[in-house]
Amino acid sequence: MSDHQERLEQSLSAFMDAEATDMEMHRLLKEVSENPELRAKWKRYHMVSSALNGDVAATSLDYSSAISSAIGKEPTHRQSVLAVFAGSAGRFAIAASVALVAVFGVQQLNSPMTNPGMVSEFAGIDQVDEENTGPAIQFPSGFQPVINARTVSAGGTNKNSRYVTPVIEVRQQAKRNYSEAELRAYMNDIMIRHSNHAALNSNQGMLPFARLNESEAAADQE
Amino acid sequence: MIMAFFKTVKPIKWAALVAAVLLHGPLYAAQMESAQDLMARMSKASRELNYQGLFTYEYRGNLTSVKVSHGVFEGQTFERILHMDGAKREALSRIGNLDCLRTGDMLLRGSAYKISEQSYARLEDYYDFHIKGDGRIANRDVVMVHVLPKDKHRYGYVVAIDRDSGLLLQSVLMSHRGKPLERFQFVDIAVGMPIAELGFDLQTTYDKSVALEQTGCVGADRKIRESVSSWSSQWLPPGFVIASHQSTDKGRQESMMYTDGLAVFSVFIDSDNGRSLPAIDANLGATVAVLTKANFNDHEYAISVVGEIPRATANQIANAIALSPGDEQQ
Repeated sequence: MSDHQERLEQSLSAFMDAEATDMEMHRLLKEVSENPELRAKWKRYHMVSSALNGDVAATSLDYSSAISSAIGKEPTHRQSVLAVFAGSAGRFAIAASVALVAVFGVQQLNSPMTNPGMVSEFAGIDQVDEENTGPAIQFPSGFQPVINARTVSAGGTNKNSRYVTPVIEVRQQAKRNYSEAELRAYMNDIMIRHSNHAALNSNQGMLPFARLNESEAAADQE
Repeated sequence: MIMAFFKTVKPIKWAALVAAVLLHGPLYAAQMESAQDLMARMSKASRELNYQGLFTYEYRGNLTSVKVSHGVFEGQTFERILHMDGAKREALSRIGNLDCLRTGDMLLRGSAYKISEQSYARLEDYYDFHIKGDGRIANRDVVMVHVLPKDKHRYGYVVAIDRDSGLLLQSVLMSHRGKPLERFQFVDIAVGMPIAELGFDLQTTYDKSVALEQTGCVGADRKIRESVSSWSSQWLPPGFVIASHQSTDKGRQESMMYTDGLAVFSVFIDSDNGRSLPAIDANLGATVAVLTKANFNDHEYAISVVGEIPRATANQIANAIALSPGDEQQ
């Protein structure tokens, strides 16, 4: 008797005593359909069990093949190939759309509004402030010292975030007597001048120059 | 039985509490002092030492890197900045005389910067400093310091200060919710080499008379020479003092800069250029810019506030800028 067969019989025995694990049960049910030896044993065990319980262990008739062929003859319940395909395609579509939303969401978070058409937005500015501006790594509140953790850049190769322009939001819908370029130029100008000021006056050494770099990168893109 | 247990526990508890209070006070004070010393040392070091290194600046998943050389020669400070990515940009500057201390330096170095005859600005009134232990940045041993704001008008920082030289090797600007807004960090730095090794072409620098920035130096009386501005602010976040005032373009654009020693914001008042622009909110990394329109004496002005401060504070400042009464501009 092979090792495998022996294990199956042990599983069967355990199954009869309602002590089989889920795993054993699954393997057993799978095997019993294609292993005649096991099936015979299954039947015998059940007869023994019934006899011990005092039930009428009457018959050795096997209905299983008859039932199985009867099921086979019922055409209406058969799934067409197309339906099988449609079913799995549907599942795939749901998974894909979830992935799409995830990708789109990340894009939204990481890419600045480079499109001039998006200038006239105001809603949720502070949220934008809080959620969008940080490096990818998030510190827990209270500044726990996880400072040495490395950051993986979320922007990465994303074309939109390669160069960064200021996010500019117009607060009121006034008459448009200004040009987009004029607006950006003005904002860049004051940001650069601020950085120059800050470089001289704050004590953070080189830091303001780094910010300046970003401003200039934005200006270059104009 | 139970009462007896409580009777023995209580004195121990009390003793522990008293001990905690007594011991904690001095310990806490000692820590405060040394954090303050560190910040003061940092301010000195970044000006007075020769160093060369590479640092990165990151925000919103964007990373840029910059090479910096800094040296002192004959009492003057030279600095070269080379951007390592993007369009090639290199800047050489003479920052000024070593003895030119600016408002920010004063605030960070001493605990007494005179705002007026009576009042002093003290950094520790607006920030809590906590030393958080040791770390390693750019292959150097650093002291990690958490700088927490005491109000909502400024951001906090996580900084790493080189144990050896006192240079600032890392600075992370933190929002009130404890999220990082930007990160500045050295990846490699060498300190204390002679100026000849830094590769400054000092002769050329002098010949080309690279603009010497000498504005905003604090005088011996510890009060900056304020040029007279017709603009005043009805409200400033506590702790911020004016650090410089400039008037350009024949007075059509004025700018003022304020600092509390760590955070910096600028106010621009434009009576010409910005007038056609709408009121806007903009931000670039951790920097916010707010532009508002205001009418004084039938003249429209564009008032903008730019700085690394919370947006609500920037708005509040912008709305509080006013032309001094009876001081009409042409």
